[in-house]
Amino acid sequence: MHTSNIKFRGGLNKAIVMCSSIVVGIVGLLPSSAQALPAFARQTGQNCVACHAGGQFPELTPYGRMFKLTGYTIGERTVPLSVMGVVSYAKVANTSKSDNPPADFQKNGAPLFATGSVFIAGKVTDNIGVFSQTTYDNYASQSGNGVFHGHMQADNMDFRYADRLINEKRDVIFGFSLNNNPSITDPWNSAAAWMQYVPVPSPTSHQFIDGTAPYPGFGSGGNLAGVSAYMFWNKLVYAEFGTYRTANQGFSFMSAGINDASTTKLQGANNPYWRLALSHEWGPHNLMVGTSGMIAHVYDVGTDISDPNNLGRFKNAGIDAQYQYLLDPHTVTAQLAYMRQKQDHSANALAAGSPYFLADGITPVTPVNASDTSNILRAKLSYIYQAKYGGSLSFFNSTGTTNTLNQSSGYDSNGQITSLDPLGTGISSTRVTGNLSGNPATRGLTYEAFWMPVQYARVGVQYTAYSKFNGASNNYDGLGRNARDNNTLFLYVWGAY
Amino acid sequence: MKTAAFVGMGLALLGVAGCANTERSRNLNDPNVPAKVMAQQVCSNCHGIDGNSTSPNFPKLAGQQEAYFIAQLKGFRSHGRYDPEGFEYMWGISRSLTDEQIKGLAAYFAQQTPAPNPPVHTERISAGKEIFEKGVPSQNVPACAVCHGAQGQGNATFPRIADQHADYIIKQLQVFQRTEERPEGAVMKQITHSLTDENMQAVAAYLNSMPVPAK
Repeated sequence: MHTSNIKFRGGLNKAIVMCSSIVVGIVGLLPSSAQALPAFARQTGQNCVACHAGGQFPELTPYGRMFKLTGYTIGERTVPLSVMGVVSYAKVANTSKSDNPPADFQKNGAPLFATGSVFIAGKVTDNIGVFSQTTYDNYASQSGNGVFHGHMQADNMDFRYADRLINEKRDVIFGFSLNNNPSITDPWNSAAAWMQYVPVPSPTSHQFIDGTAPYPGFGSGGNLAGVSAYMFWNKLVYAEFGTYRTANQGFSFMSAGINDASTTKLQGANNPYWRLALSHEWGPHNLMVGTSGMIAHVYDVGTDISDPNNLGRFKNAGIDAQYQYLLDPHTVTAQLAYMRQKQDHSANALAAGSPYFLADGITPVTPVNASDTSNILRAKLSYIYQAKYGGSLSFFNSTGTTNTLNQSSGYDSNGQITSLDPLGTGISSTRVTGNLSGNPATRGLTYEAFWMPVQYARVGVQYTAYSKFNGASNNYDGLGRNARDNNTLFLYVWGAY
Repeated sequence: MKTAAFVGMGLALLGVAGCANTERSRNLNDPNVPAKVMAQQVCSNCHGIDGNSTSPNFPKLAGQQEAYFIAQLKGFRSHGRYDPEGFEYMWGISRSLTDEQIKGLAAYFAQQTPAPNPPVHTERISAGKEIFEKGVPSQNVPACAVCHGAQGQGNATFPRIADQHADYIIKQLQVFQRTEERPEGAVMKQITHSLTDENMQAVAAYLNSMPVPAK
């Protein structure tokens, strides 16, 4: 314990020195005038705070929402390129309860260059605009010997056509979007695609940071291909309807960089997404209350899509709300999102069942449900002063049905608990993420404080504390790991240009 | 739906708007976009389509004096006015506007009718009225009404201040008093020199509550 503390401090000091140098570097390199900003800011000539609440990305102000809904077309055409990068550091509370700590917590306590993105973003014509992100993950995959490999792939993409019919009597914004992520089109930050704390780096030591904790989202995930039509009427009612399909053939650029086996495969193009929201502004306040949902027919990852028995289905329905108080120098935001999901497992997944046994080591466990229901709640409160100093508190609670099919830890044929797949069928699990109960319940709190020395750089410190993980507070993997062992300190420096 | 239909829809999206559409454009660098279109498509996002902004972060422009309005937009465009909100929001918006467009925007907003505000700090209104009408002689502060008009309606480059958001008034008084960021309003530096925070809040509460004067 003592040694670990010393190591912790050493690593932290290094991280702080590194982070500080980077901030100084960024501050020194970038001019302080309003001329040199990321793509959208160059297009409108405005500062980040015009569109982002308190300068806090990606949350939008009422004006930022109008900028997005009118298809990113306000302003004048400019070079539509931006880049961003993240340097991060994470420290997990307990790394000892692991079969292979160097693999499970590689880069723990080590500062690293985590991810970088390139954006093509901006106005194309008076009615067409683009927001397209491609991300390089420096730690995308890990080979057998534990070495990480970097990888670049398509991230969020939104190509829009929008028009606005406005006069003294009515204001109708309407448009169409070709995009790769359900709800990426949404202008409110409590939508599934946007509520997440960013950034979210991927090394194994970062697997318990908030960005990996439960968020209300759609079972289908992203990197799909979809079209949606939307309308915002009198700044009061927002409605959107779309449908998604696999991002292959002509749409493969929307899942570029993801190999075919890992690409999410949807059945046909009848995978509808819908969104309805009511919005109101008064004085410095604004409020949105909304609902959204999706039905997605998804093939099990990496399986043969000509076999209908590999097809499962996700039905999502959620409600969300966002309140903002924006009056210089204060920014207050409260967000609430709740998503209910019903997952119908594929026939083959049910037939394959679980590789584990009952405690007798003889009787194989069989799936208890053909479908599972889960409920995820997120609540977040944040405050920013002078668009420079900010903090937030976030609560997450995931509950759901118990199903042996969801176990990733259990008894082997010797009656011993293992997190490895006892049948060797290829299910990969490690002890630290093992789930003995087959229940998804995970609950915790995340605290964040951040500082934005200049408008396109942010330094943040985040702490995520779990009171429940994979269905239990204690011994969730059957091998002695407790939820609080996953508590994680996370530091990052984020910069964009 | 088949691939062809998806591709077709994608192409349709690109096809429908290959050319500029000045009747509903949000292009801030096109001299052909009429001022009214610009006001409705862009300015209205923060200032309201009738110049009655909802958020006090943004000034109400309804009924504003044209000469004052033109001077401000030109001040933003030339970077002569550089209070934080000015450069954060307005430098970019104004950077490519033509003189003609600025004139048209001034006329558009001058024609709008100011709407009454929700009341704020009503207990301060009478103190604010006193300052507006008589100034604070003991602090050498002249009456606002002398330049801004008995009804706060403004006069040429002296802005209309009646019915303005209280928070916006306070912020501008502080900018005048504590900075050099609005050189065009240098005369206000002297006037606001000895105003206390209490004075500012009182006069802002009164202006916020002023009845709409006839044009």
